Amino acid sequence: MARDVPDHFDTAALIAASRPKDPDLHLSGRMVLAAETAALYALPETEVAALADAMAKGQGGAALERLGLTLAPAAPPVPEITPGPVRALALTVSQSCNLACGYCYASGGSFGGPDTRMDWPVAQKAIDRLIGDTPPGGSVKIAFMGGEPMLARDLIRQSVDHANRRAAARAVSVGFSITTNGTLLRDDDAEFLAQNRFAVTVSLDGAKATNDRLRPLRGGQGSFALVARGLAPLVARADRISLSARVTVTPDNLDLAETVGALADLGFQSVGASPMINAPTGKGTLQGDDFHRLLAAMVECGQDWLTATLAGRAHPFANLATALTELHRGKVRSHGCGAARDYLSVDASGSYSACHRFVNDPLGRMGDLVSGVDDRARADFLTERQVEAQEACSKCWARRLCGGGCHQEVLHVGRPACDYVRGWLHFAISAYDRMMTERPDWFDAIG
Amino acid sequence: MTETLKPMNRAALSGPTYAQPVLGNPAATLMESGVGNCFPGLEFDLRQLDVRFFPGLVFEFPGVTPAGPDGTQGARLVYADMTGDPMFDLDADWVTDLKAQFNGAAGAALGDGQWYLHSVEQYGKKIELYDFVLYQNTVTQTPYEGETAWWIIRLIEADPNPDVADLTVGLTQRAPDGSPVGNPVYLKGKRRVYLDGEGMISEVYHPGEFTASMCSPWTHDFRDCACQYWASNHPDVVLGPVVDPRDELEDGTSKTDPAQAVTFLDWMRRRKLPGADLSAETTIEGARPRRYDPYEINLHWQELDFVLHGKESNETHNAGYRIHAPGSGYADAAAAITALTNDLAPLEYALAVEYLYAYFSLRSPDEVSVDQEKEFPGLANDLRAARQLILSVALSEMTHMRWANQTLWMLDQAGLYPKGKCYEPVIEPAKKIPDGKTGGTRPRALKVANSDTLQTFVDVERPDGTLDTEYGDLVRLFSDPAGGYPDGLYELAVRIDTDGLQHYQKFRDTRNVLLPYSSRPDLFLRSIKLAKDDDKSVQLALDLLDQAVEALRRGYGAEAAGDMTAAQVGITAGREAMHRLNDACEFLAQQGIGVPFFARFGG
Repeated sequence: MARDVPDHFDTAALIAASRPKDPDLHLSGRMVLAAETAALYALPETEVAALADAMAKGQGGAALERLGLTLAPAAPPVPEITPGPVRALALTVSQSCNLACGYCYASGGSFGGPDTRMDWPVAQKAIDRLIGDTPPGGSVKIAFMGGEPMLARDLIRQSVDHANRRAAARAVSVGFSITTNGTLLRDDDAEFLAQNRFAVTVSLDGAKATNDRLRPLRGGQGSFALVARGLAPLVARADRISLSARVTVTPDNLDLAETVGALADLGFQSVGASPMINAPTGKGTLQGDDFHRLLAAMVECGQDWLTATLAGRAHPFANLATALTELHRGKVRSHGCGAARDYLSVDASGSYSACHRFVNDPLGRMGDLVSGVDDRARADFLTERQVEAQEACSKCWARRLCGGGCHQEVLHVGRPACDYVRGWLHFAISAYDRMMTERPDWFDAIG
Repeated sequence: MTETLKPMNRAALSGPTYAQPVLGNPAATLMESGVGNCFPGLEFDLRQLDVRFFPGLVFEFPGVTPAGPDGTQGARLVYADMTGDPMFDLDADWVTDLKAQFNGAAGAALGDGQWYLHSVEQYGKKIELYDFVLYQNTVTQTPYEGETAWWIIRLIEADPNPDVADLTVGLTQRAPDGSPVGNPVYLKGKRRVYLDGEGMISEVYHPGEFTASMCSPWTHDFRDCACQYWASNHPDVVLGPVVDPRDELEDGTSKTDPAQAVTFLDWMRRRKLPGADLSAETTIEGARPRRYDPYEINLHWQELDFVLHGKESNETHNAGYRIHAPGSGYADAAAAITALTNDLAPLEYALAVEYLYAYFSLRSPDEVSVDQEKEFPGLANDLRAARQLILSVALSEMTHMRWANQTLWMLDQAGLYPKGKCYEPVIEPAKKIPDGKTGGTRPRALKVANSDTLQTFVDVERPDGTLDTEYGDLVRLFSDPAGGYPDGLYELAVRIDTDGLQHYQKFRDTRNVLLPYSSRPDLFLRSIKLAKDDDKSVQLALDLLDQAVEALRRGYGAEAAGDMTAAQVGITAGREAMHRLNDACEFLAQQGIGVPFFARFGG
């Protein structure tokens, strides 16, 4: 069991342990994280207490110097970030949905506007631009989002076909993905998705009871049965479809361990949890103490994953695997994600947005198909939103791992989840220590 | 890093990480992946590495002069200097000693006069860089030429132990005949290793050194290209132009200047000099003074002439090389058009398809069983050859069909079609095929590739046979300068005409390749039966053939109308259909089914 997470799990203790004590470094168990470089070092056990004391006195950096490590100081904000060409595109092929989940970032699919479907010319132009801007030999990703993208099934087929041909002509490789509620999947859809090697993310929030409560059809009935039925052909093609489930965590479905188990039973080999922080309707948002319960739930799933993985068994809880991978890579980030930098979304009206959550949101407007991608807006957005320029993040040890949070959440509701994020990362670092000690080969697969 | 803190993740273990992965240059651009011919090599001259094979010394490798060996050949010391040589930063006793030598008497001696590499010695083996000739009790030492010396230097190894000085070089000055004189200088050291552990080339080399010995094609350095590559890319001597077109005879020579046809000019001569049209000198040295210098070519390149068929020309339209032989069988363009439309183009189609049928009737090399190969070694290869030969002729006929169509639409575009008529694509098979006897024909037929069939193929392609004569007539017609035929028609006709001889030879070769198996047709023939026109199994193949024909029709029509984009679409679609047709026919042939290619054209 990891050092800071005792059997009877004490959330408060974890949060206390993970609070920032020194802007340049953090101590989790015997692991030292250099905040600015995301480098992780293992201290000899005998030195841990001494470092913790030094950190309490504000002399953590000096203590590390004596141990031979000079910490990099916090980098100043980059004065001007100039993004390169976009490499991934989210096509909001449908701004309507057959479900009525309360927390939906798209407010029932339509992003607060009329239900609209994307026209072929819009999709085509966006795809052509994306591929045309990529040098031969490069690769691009196209994601189909919504609303519920499967409502625009024909458009997706046409887009994939067209993208494949265009890309082949330019020696560009293209990868596809889709995030769907899974209720409209037919057998021939599964074959189509498999042939084109889609990464399919199915949104599910829990076992039947929970899911039906949180993700009802427009008429109010539960959607779980529909999803379960459409799932079998996807699971059967697991060799070609990268299938995962996405759980939106609200105050009403914090029993994550049960959810993960239920979704594993459905056939998912990868289940990722995403906390709901900014619902346009306000419903289903995590607030205040919810984050403590969330942290406990996540750590519980993490421990299950750890136990299973150390024993050589598979476990679908994706969040910890991702965290460990990123910790191992140790790449510092200036933003929480690739929005506006590598990734843009296009909506039915042909407007570009920083990402799929910013559709119809002026804060993320990035040009349109007619006048082109607004690189100035991208540059401004990225420069403004870099973590080095966020006052609130300047003293946080996790800033280079977290990147400052989801842009859309931060811009609308701020950062209510920082304690949770730090607690989670603190736990992840101690899990990293254990994995590196007991299963270092697990990291060999990381590219 | 100390023993106490253990770096764990990649950020801790490595140096700076890059936000974006650095893709770097492909391996093929690295110098060690180079084409590597030392002479001259495309990226750099490998031999230039050995110029600095010994620390502190810089050599060159002069060869033997055209007048003969004069003692200056070999590995000649250019200079001795320790500056900028990283080998002298190494921490070893021999380096200290070598430094002392350079700073002392040896260095002083080497700085005065002309020195040459006399010997190399390693592990007790010494090689002196001379040819020893004993003649009448006298030993003459003739130095090896530069390249030989270089080969020897290339063989020197470097002892892996950096502290061991395993190489001793000896340098001497020379008497006029090349024999060594004076006190030699011996230096003990180690040969340079050119790449360090990371694959970086040693810093001792100066920028530009690696290519210093090479010609520079981008400045038209034709003169210094010693491997003749660039020399082979421009003309040497050419016939001069006929300046006034009114003076030009039909064969391109001059009416008024009989000398023009026999006077060869140096193509690289300076055009503005008096005597620019004097006959070329017979030696390079003789011609050199009147030639453009390499640096001038970039300034005066527009003065150089195009050369077509050995004659300088200032215009692209140059009918001079066409031999106009009157007496064409065609009276005029209209007659040619009729012949092309009704006879020649359909004939190409029919022949292509007959040849294809024969091609599919041959077994494929992988159908040969192990026992068969044992009994008839080479059978697989013979099948491969026979199939390839027949297929290449079939493809050539398809090309001719296209050229025949192209000739027709070019005539239409030039306004030479009879009034009221215009070009229509001709893509259908002729009913009758010449049989090689004068004027005789046979009906079109799809037959397997046995010796009788191959003989008919030989007959139809025979030079001076009907096919050959008809195209010969076309050549003669288009060669008439008074005919007003568009550029290119003559050349097309010539190409088709000359291809004919190749077809004839290929079929003869095919016949000969299969001759040894003539008593055992099962070895080289599939047991194919020609299917009936309405046989269900062949309908797909026939559909594909239709598709190909239809696509070609569209493509030719588009190209005739000048729409190259649409033409490309048609041709590409046609090609695709043909590929699939090939697969279908091959598959059917393996089932013993012969596709009746003429089915949709009346059988």
